[in-house]
Amino acid sequence: MKTVLINCSPKKRFCASAYFLFLEKLFLNGEKVTEKLRTPGDHERILEQLKDADAAVFAVPLYVDGIPSHVLRFMEKMEIFCRENDLHMNVYCIANNGFIEGKQNEPLMQCFDNFCARADLKWGGGVGIGGGVMLNVTRILFAVEIALLVLNTVLSAINTGNFFPKEAWISFGENAALLLFFNLGVLFYLGRMGACIRKGTFSDKKYTRILLPSFVFIIFADIFFIIISVFEGGIFRGWLSKKEYGRP
Amino acid sequence: MRVILHDLGNEYRELIETKCDRSVEADGKYAPCQGCFGCWTKHPAGCFMKDSLQQVCRIIGQADELIIITENLYGGYSADIKNVLDRSIGTSTPFSTYRGRQMHHTLRYGMHDLWKVIVYGDITEKEKETFRYMAGRNAVNDGFERSEVLFIEDLSGLEELL
Repeated sequence: MKTVLINCSPKKRFCASAYFLFLEKLFLNGEKVTEKLRTPGDHERILEQLKDADAAVFAVPLYVDGIPSHVLRFMEKMEIFCRENDLHMNVYCIANNGFIEGKQNEPLMQCFDNFCARADLKWGGGVGIGGGVMLNVTRILFAVEIALLVLNTVLSAINTGNFFPKEAWISFGENAALLLFFNLGVLFYLGRMGACIRKGTFSDKKYTRILLPSFVFIIFADIFFIIISVFEGGIFRGWLSKKEYGRP
Repeated sequence: MRVILHDLGNEYRELIETKCDRSVEADGKYAPCQGCFGCWTKHPAGCFMKDSLQQVCRIIGQADELIIITENLYGGYSADIKNVLDRSIGTSTPFSTYRGRQMHHTLRYGMHDLWKVIVYGDITEKEKETFRYMAGRNAVNDGFERSEVLFIEDLSGLEELL
């Protein structure tokens, strides 16, 4: 069985779509090919991979309630390509958005369903994820936690000869468990969809989110953008003002 | 201000310009959004890419009535139109709020009146349903009081709808 996983984020690195595809691959077997879709230069390479694929999994960020334009341009080509080559693979979708409600991905999911009908492909359903950006941050925090654990272990070994600093391990365990908890909904539904991909069955549309209360999420999101805006300087350039066309 | 965003090409330019205060032609001669959030965090309501869409959110943001004329693509906007919308998120700010009982961004230009979509081209009933749902979601997300979606078989009756 061959599954082509298509990362549709326009970002070059550290994108949430790559994280969710990494998790999805944990639940798949057989040949797994991951492709990046950023520019028209990627189209032919991905289409060639789809020729003998049993399933295609699109990981897509939600842009203005729908599919980003660079992905639409690929889908138009893919529709023609699949018809010309008599391809009828299963198509699944992992959609993520920056808001907390996974349900906000619904219009995007419907467009994928409609695309499959046009291209005579089998719509397999998908998972819509809320808080995608923040979930992506949790993997970075997890890497930081591992680095801190290693550092504490080394310092403890040098200073006291103890290679198992108990407090450092407890702290790591607590923080790792918290990060895992935030991701539980995503892991459950990606696992469930992975089982459907393996069996070639319909997984329906499911919506989940980072497991945080909405008002807490909004506070963290606002703090995140304030920090970024200070570093990038936007906060000093009419950050929230009504900008006029043609003026700075 | 009445703004028309369309993917019809030169043939309809004269008609469009008599029906609005400002028009944006989605001709596809521009880059897709890179998802950098720079229009929120670095150069507010502007894009780092120096093409025809660099300040397009400043036009769409000032629209009381936004009329979008688009070919159907899978129950959504054509890729050329979607590209313009993707590059327009600077109409909002990076701050979050609740609107329609869901999380959205606060509005740089305040509330607007009408998000109207005129859809042409081949379309199925299921795609029509998606389009109505999509336009409703866009209206809430972008702070428009109401939305309307019209489907036309061909463009001969377009003038009456504008």
